Amino acid sequence: MIVCVAVVGNQNNPVYLQSFTEADDALKLHHIVHCSLDVIDERVNNPKRSGPTLNETFLGLLYPTENYKVYGYLTNTKVKFIMVTTDLDVKDADVRNFFRRFHAAYVDAVSNPFHVPGKKITSKSFAERVSVIVKSFGSTAA
Amino acid sequence: MAPLAPRSGDAVFASVERVNAELFTLTYGAIVRQLITDLEEVEEVNKQLDQMGYNIGVRLIDEFLAKSNVSRCVDFKETAEVIAKVGFKMFLGVTATVINWDAEGTSCSLVLEDNPLVDFVELPDTCQGLSYCNILSGVIRGALEMVSMKTEITWVRDMLQGDDAYELRVKLLKQVPEEYPYKDDD
Repeated sequence: MIVCVAVVGNQNNPVYLQSFTEADDALKLHHIVHCSLDVIDERVNNPKRSGPTLNETFLGLLYPTENYKVYGYLTNTKVKFIMVTTDLDVKDADVRNFFRRFHAAYVDAVSNPFHVPGKKITSKSFAERVSVIVKSFGSTAA
Repeated sequence: MAPLAPRSGDAVFASVERVNAELFTLTYGAIVRQLITDLEEVEEVNKQLDQMGYNIGVRLIDEFLAKSNVSRCVDFKETAEVIAKVGFKMFLGVTATVINWDAEGTSCSLVLEDNPLVDFVELPDTCQGLSYCNILSGVIRGALEMVSMKTEITWVRDMLQGDDAYELRVKLLKQVPEEYPYKDDD
């Protein structure tokens, strides 16, 4: 079950942050997203020599905490997508698929001429698409 | 030489040069954004878009008539059909439907389900009165004026403002016969 998705711009400015459970503390989720930015910076600045150098978009599991797993995805414009999930057995392919669809929704939202790059995304249709993608993630993983 | 038969919208669309739809959409979006930044008033922007459309329309009509070989329209009903099926298809790649004719046959509605100008667009709260596609009303008005018809075009439904389709109301005001610049002296 995905509890939170976030989009962070290239200067580490928040562009979109949405949590999907009422139970958990929103502040705690924001804090987790914030910490994961550090992990991403680490990964980006010290690329593993053995890893593939071509497709570096999907960063994979950033770090597992108590009962959450945090996944990251980096676009070529240094925009980061972060996804926090409570599922214990999440297939890699599912997460990649999720990020691919999320990336497509993000691109459409940014193509809006009234969207200012770097500002927060206020598009309602983007929020709807994201919640559809999040819901279907749960069902494919099951 | 025998006159060429009028070509259907699809045939003309297939033969003209085309441009990438996303490039077109993003360019139009940039124009509207810049107009809003420069003029700041939503009404002014609407008027400018209409004026720009008018300038495009007066030039577009010649290209349209040359490439599509339509014959002279008998009445306004035929004109509306030609605009909806051949004109829109040739330049935007989508067709419109003509509905809601009034009793005298001088006023009708063109309905567009799909509009390439507005892909990805969502109006922010500060621009709620903006007729984003106002350039289209100017284009039709300009084009029809060059073939001696004075029209008035208004937007009835706009998907960006919550409706389910785009509807343009086209009203024929009068047919202006061609005027010659010199008097007929015997």
